[in-house]
Amino acid sequence: MTEITRRTALKTSLGGALAVTAAAAMTKTAFAADPVEIDLFFPVPVQGKLADKMKELIDRFNTQHADIKATAVYTGSYDDTSLKTRAAIKAGKPPAAVIMSANFVREYVINGDVDPWDSLIEKDGKTAAVYFDNFWPALKPNAVIDDKVYGIPYQNSTPLMYYSVDAFKDAGLDPDKPPETWADWLDAAKKLTKADGSRWGIMFPGTYDYCGWLTSAFVMQNGGQYYNHDYGGEVYYNAPSSLGALTLLDTLVNKAKVMPPGVSDANACTSAFFAGRLGTMLLSTGSLSFVRDNMKTPYKVAFLPKAVRNAAPIGGASLILPKGNTPERQAAAWTLINWLVSPEIAGEWSRFTGYFSPRKAAYDLPDMQKFMSDHPDAKIALDQLKFAVPWFDTFNTVAVRKAMEDQVQAIFSAKVAPADAVVAAQKAADELLRPYVEQTALKAIG
Amino acid sequence: MRTRGRIIALLAASAAALIWVVPFAWMAVASLRPGVPPDIASLTPSGPFGLGNFVEAWTSGSFPLWYLNTFLMCGGILAVQLVTISMAGYAFARLDFPGRDVVFSLFPLQLLLIPPLLIVPNLQTLVSLHLYDRLPGIMAPYFASAFGVFLMRQTFRAIPKDFEEAAMLDGASIPVLIRHVLLPLARPGLVAFAIVSLTAHWNEFLWPLMAVSSPQNQVLTVGLSTFTSGAEAGSDWGVVAAGTFFVAAPLLILFLVFQRRFISSFVSSGIK
Repeated sequence: MTEITRRTALKTSLGGALAVTAAAAMTKTAFAADPVEIDLFFPVPVQGKLADKMKELIDRFNTQHADIKATAVYTGSYDDTSLKTRAAIKAGKPPAAVIMSANFVREYVINGDVDPWDSLIEKDGKTAAVYFDNFWPALKPNAVIDDKVYGIPYQNSTPLMYYSVDAFKDAGLDPDKPPETWADWLDAAKKLTKADGSRWGIMFPGTYDYCGWLTSAFVMQNGGQYYNHDYGGEVYYNAPSSLGALTLLDTLVNKAKVMPPGVSDANACTSAFFAGRLGTMLLSTGSLSFVRDNMKTPYKVAFLPKAVRNAAPIGGASLILPKGNTPERQAAAWTLINWLVSPEIAGEWSRFTGYFSPRKAAYDLPDMQKFMSDHPDAKIALDQLKFAVPWFDTFNTVAVRKAMEDQVQAIFSAKVAPADAVVAAQKAADELLRPYVEQTALKAIG
Repeated sequence: MRTRGRIIALLAASAAALIWVVPFAWMAVASLRPGVPPDIASLTPSGPFGLGNFVEAWTSGSFPLWYLNTFLMCGGILAVQLVTISMAGYAFARLDFPGRDVVFSLFPLQLLLIPPLLIVPNLQTLVSLHLYDRLPGIMAPYFASAFGVFLMRQTFRAIPKDFEEAAMLDGASIPVLIRHVLLPLARPGLVAFAIVSLTAHWNEFLWPLMAVSSPQNQVLTVGLSTFTSGAEAGSDWGVVAAGTFFVAAPLLILFLVFQRRFISSFVSSGIK
């Protein structure tokens, strides 16, 4: 509602301004007959007709906002989206806004390729800090950097444990009591695993990106920080918490043999799960809709198992404002973004995609409350948010993330011992971070 | 001995063909199976089968528009390329100019550049030419082809000079000579190049994704990925296979129809 009032007010004031001849120059950009054209880059990270849904939302926005003409531009995966965004900024054609993987935002800030949203937030009469209270607190470290709001959270996920009720019963486990700790999980997995290879106890994706995401979860469950959440130049790969986490992975695959060796991708996990060849899997909450639609036998979800604490890293995407846009386009982008993250629209997008809504108030709406009571699995995913931890982001994020992922993948293939893996990962990461560290933390003063 | 050699060659070729055909066979089988069956990897499932995936894939995207854009893109690139490579190929094959051999040996070096390296400079050029986010913008970087020039030079050089000398005696200019004497004789080379060019640009993903933004300028590969990519969840393989079939079908049909001509082109142009 506030949106409409603000817009009406804008138009009224424009009507007044029109009467004044001096304002003639302004009318070109602001008068409804000549709407401000903006483009929104968006990736499609989960399977489904998301692109259609996004177009439908943008069409609805355009009919409600005569002074803006927004276009949704599909830009591939998260990585492709970042590549295209960077190239477009360099070529002088920055998009008005981008739905950017939340762990890339810090790099955009470091490279000076984005503007903060603060001045636009303040124009609405709010401080940035008050505005950000609209979102779950765990989203803050990936969005608010150096006290400025660079990312407006749009769609988010955490890893979640999915388990097969039939497999639990068959193994003599109680499907109402999912494993809560690493030890419980390992015990259950041993019972779930069949020696003839017809069923595994545990599977989760070990492909790039997923691998780093889940590794950070294990390390943080083990009490660690994994990386410096406030400064992009430090990672804690060679720490006891990391060593313990990698030792767990080594045990699962190579000692207890409750998880298939080598690297599985998300498709392999879901295929095995649907086929009844898997007891528990760790997968994104963004997969909830897909699992719900395709799993023929009963399944349940639970929090990720803990070691010293519960921890589930955030994933997903935030809206950023690329540098180089005119104030008119920035203002129009802000109107669009405010509309997209309004509780109604955010809730609708969440129900359609399976992502959780970053906007807390979305869950107070009747549609959303009905959805949560109809889908207890989504409710558990939401409850796990109280244990949410931020998503790995550093200088040169992808390469630094891979430094650890390569070692974890080597563990999955029994090619390296955990103690050597953490040393190698730290060494590779330090090397990659050095240019940034030398420009910042180690920069000589005076 | 000869027959035994032939049998071995035939067996080897059949084995290679079998390996080559497996992905296509799987695509065909998977596209006919509804949902996400547990034995999705199977080549010989028991069913059920249906055409639902094709309906879903077709309605998930704007295939007619994507086909049109892709035809325009590939056709436009090829049309300009045929002109540029014939002319440049002729220059390198027949004309004597200072530095010819140096330039010609430098020419294929551009094949060594990895395309992503050129994304930003190419985009900047497109913006200054006002071709950003337009179909001609996708085509522009490919108007010259090092591979094509190389191929045409070799093809022209293989044609005996007598034909040209005879035409020149009759007063033919160089453009007439190329158009009416050399190009008809070089047809196998042109056809071979056309296949390589068409398949390369038909299948290209990254550059079209970078060069255009507006939905009305989207091509098949980018369009397909709008409803088939799924990093965070599993994939609906049946729909992916059906969509991939739509993308691959025109090239498959083209190849089947002109199979004999293509093969003879490759044989006589020396590409195998």
